[in-house]
Amino acid sequence: MSTPIAYFLLVSAALFTIGTVGVMVRKNALLIFMSIELQLNGVNLALVAFSRMHGNLVGQALTFFSMVVAAAEVVVGLAIIVFVFRRRRTANVDDLSVLRW
Amino acid sequence: MLDLVWLVPALPLAGFAANLFFGRRLGRAAGWLASLLMGASFVVAVLVARDLLGLPTEERVHILHLFDWIEVGSFRVGADLRVDPLSLTMILVVTAVGSLIHIYSIGYMQGDPRFGRFFAYLNLFCAFMLTLVLAENLLFLYLGWEGVGLCSYLLIGFWFERTAAANAAKKAFVTTRIGDTFMLIGISLVFLRLGSLDLSTVLAPEIAGVQPSGVFTILALLLFAGAIGKSAQIPLHVWLPDAMEGPTPVSALIHAATMVTAGVYLVVRMHLFFEISGVALTVVLVVGLVTAVYAGLTALAQDDIKRVLAYSTISQLGFMFLAAGLEAYAAAIVMLAAHAAYKALLFLSAGSVMHGMGDETDLKLMGGLRRPMPWTAGMMAIGALALSGVIGLSGYFAKDAILAIASEEGKALVYWVGVFAAFLSALYIGRLVVLAFLGEARSERARHAHESPAIMLVPLGVLAVGAVALGALALDKETGLLPALLGPVLGELEVGTAGLPEPALIVLSQVVAFGGLLLAWFVYGGRIDWLALRARVSSLYRFLNRGMYVDDLYGALVVAPGKAGSAFLAYVVDLRIVDRAVNGTGAAIQRLARVGRRVQTGLVRTYALAFLLGAVALLAYVGSRI
Repeated sequence: MSTPIAYFLLVSAALFTIGTVGVMVRKNALLIFMSIELQLNGVNLALVAFSRMHGNLVGQALTFFSMVVAAAEVVVGLAIIVFVFRRRRTANVDDLSVLRW
Repeated sequence: MLDLVWLVPALPLAGFAANLFFGRRLGRAAGWLASLLMGASFVVAVLVARDLLGLPTEERVHILHLFDWIEVGSFRVGADLRVDPLSLTMILVVTAVGSLIHIYSIGYMQGDPRFGRFFAYLNLFCAFMLTLVLAENLLFLYLGWEGVGLCSYLLIGFWFERTAAANAAKKAFVTTRIGDTFMLIGISLVFLRLGSLDLSTVLAPEIAGVQPSGVFTILALLLFAGAIGKSAQIPLHVWLPDAMEGPTPVSALIHAATMVTAGVYLVVRMHLFFEISGVALTVVLVVGLVTAVYAGLTALAQDDIKRVLAYSTISQLGFMFLAAGLEAYAAAIVMLAAHAAYKALLFLSAGSVMHGMGDETDLKLMGGLRRPMPWTAGMMAIGALALSGVIGLSGYFAKDAILAIASEEGKALVYWVGVFAAFLSALYIGRLVVLAFLGEARSERARHAHESPAIMLVPLGVLAVGAVALGALALDKETGLLPALLGPVLGELEVGTAGLPEPALIVLSQVVAFGGLLLAWFVYGGRIDWLALRARVSSLYRFLNRGMYVDDLYGALVVAPGKAGSAFLAYVVDLRIVDRAVNGTGAAIQRLARVGRRVQTGLVRTYALAFLLGAVALLAYVGSRI
C-alpha cells in the first residue's frame, strides 16, 4: 500500500504557507524571492502527488514547465535585485516605494 | 461630330488641370494654353453646331451618354450631355465669349503673381458652365451650377489680400447658396414627384396631365429661387455689385456674360413647369420687371465704373426674366446672347480704362479719355449704343423685341414700365460714357492715361462686331434665325395684336434710347454742375447709391441677428455650457483620482497581501460554487 495522497498534500500546503508568510513578513527582497521559490515548490509537490494519484504524467509535465519558468524568473529577478542594490545600497522592499501616484 | 461634344467641357477642364499643376512653370504660356484650349472648345462647338443643323428640325436632339454617375436603387443619374438648339446656343455663346476673355486676360493679368492660377480658375469655370448648359440630367446640371458658383467665389476673391475682395467673395457665395438650397430642394421634389431627373423624361409634354398644377407651382418657384440667386435678381441681387472686387475679365465673363445668365437658361429650359403652373410665370415676370427698373435706377447713382455696369447687368437680366415671364423664351435667349456680347464688351472696355489709369474706377476722376485711349473709347461707345437699344445694333433687336411682345400681348403696364427701364439703361450708360470719355481730364491719372496693348484691344474689336451684328440672328422675333432655331425646343411664340402698332413701337424705342443718351450728355457733358445738383438731392442720391438700402436692410435683419446669435452661441452656450461641462467632467475625475490613487502605496508587500486576499476570495467563491 502506497503512501496516502493526504501526506503529500499536507507537506505541500505546509511549504506553500511557509512561503506565503515569508513573502508577507520579510523585508529583504532576496528573502522574499526565496519564499516565492518555496511557494512554487509547494505547488510542484502537489502536482507530482496528483500525477501519482491519477497514474499519468500530466502533473509531472506541468511541474517541469513550472521549474523551467521558475529558473528563468530567478535569473531575471536576481538581476533586478542586484542592480537595485548597486544603485540604492539596499534590498529592503519597503524602501523601494517610489513607483506610486 | 455630335458624339465629340464631350470635348467642349473637357478641353477647358484639361486646361484647368494643366495650369493647376504646371501653371507657375509655364509662366506667360499658361494664358496662351488656356486660351488655346478655350478656342479649341469653341471650334468643336462650331463643328457640333454644323452637324446638328444638318439634321431635320424634329431630330435636333442628341443625347450622349458618357457614364453612369450615381446609381442607387431606382435613383439613376447618368453623366449625359444633351445637344439641342438651346444648349447649342449656350455653348456657342460661352465658348466664344470665353475664348475672347481668355485672350484679353493675357494682357490684363500680365505681371500678376498668380497668373497661372487665374487661368486655371477661368478654365475650370468654363468647364463647369459648359457642363451646366449641356447637362441632360438635373443633378448633373446642379453639379455645373455649384461648380460655377465655386469658381465665382474663387475669382471674386482672387486678390484675397484685399479684405474687400475676400468679403465680396464670401457674400457672393453665401447669397447664391440661399437660392441654391431652394433649388436643390426643388430638384429633390422633381425626382419625388416625377420619378426621374432626366430632362427628356421630366420635360415630356405628357407629364402635364399627371400632376396637379399646384405641385408645378412649387417646383417652378423652387427652381426659380435658384435662378434668382445665380442671376442676381431681387431679392438676392446684393452680391453682384460687390462681386466687382474681382479682376475685370472675371466680371465680364462670369458676372455679365455667362454665369449670371444660368438662371435665365434654367427658367427657359424648365419653361414647361412654369407654363403648367401659370402663377410661377407671373412671378418670373414681376421679379424681372421690378429688378430691371430697380437696378436701372440704382445704376444712375454709382460713381464706380464697374458698379454701374454691375447694376446694368442686373437690370438687363431682369429684361431676360421679363421675356421668360412673357413666354417669349426665344427672345430671352436672344437677349442673353446679345447681352453676352455687348456687356462683355463694356466690361472689357472698362477694364481697359482701368488698365490705362492704374486701376482707377472712379468716374469722377476720369474725363477726356477719348484722346489717350481712342480705341477703347470707340469700343465702349459701340457697347453703349448696343445696350441703349439704338436701332440696328444687337441690343435693339433683343430688348425691343421683348417690349414689343409685351405690348402685343396686351400687357400695357409691363410695356410702359419696361420702356422706362430701357430709358434708364440709355441714361446710365450714356452717363458712364460721357463722364469717362468726353469733356476734360479731371485728374492727373486721366491726363496720363495710356491705351491698352493690342492683345486686349483685339478681343474688344471682335466683341464689338458681335455687339453690332448679333442682331442679325433675330431680325424678326418670330422668324429670325435664332428664334426659328429655338422654336422646336421652346415652343412657337404666339404674338397678339394688342397694343401700339409696330411702327409706333419702333419710334418709341428710338425716342427712349436717344432721349436717354442725350439727357445724359446734357446733364453730365459739362454744361451743368451735376455734382452740385446731386448735393442738393443728397438724400435721394444716397438712397440710390446704396442700392435703396437693401444691403443695410439685410444687414439689420439678417447679418446683425446672425452675428448676435453667433456671439450668444460662442460666448454663452459654448463657453459657459459646453466648455464647462467638458472641464467639469475632467475636474470631477481628477478629484475622484486623488482619493483612488491612495490604493497604490508603492510597497511591494501591500500588493502581495492584496494578491493573497484576492486569491483567497476567489478560492472561497469557487469553493462555495462546487
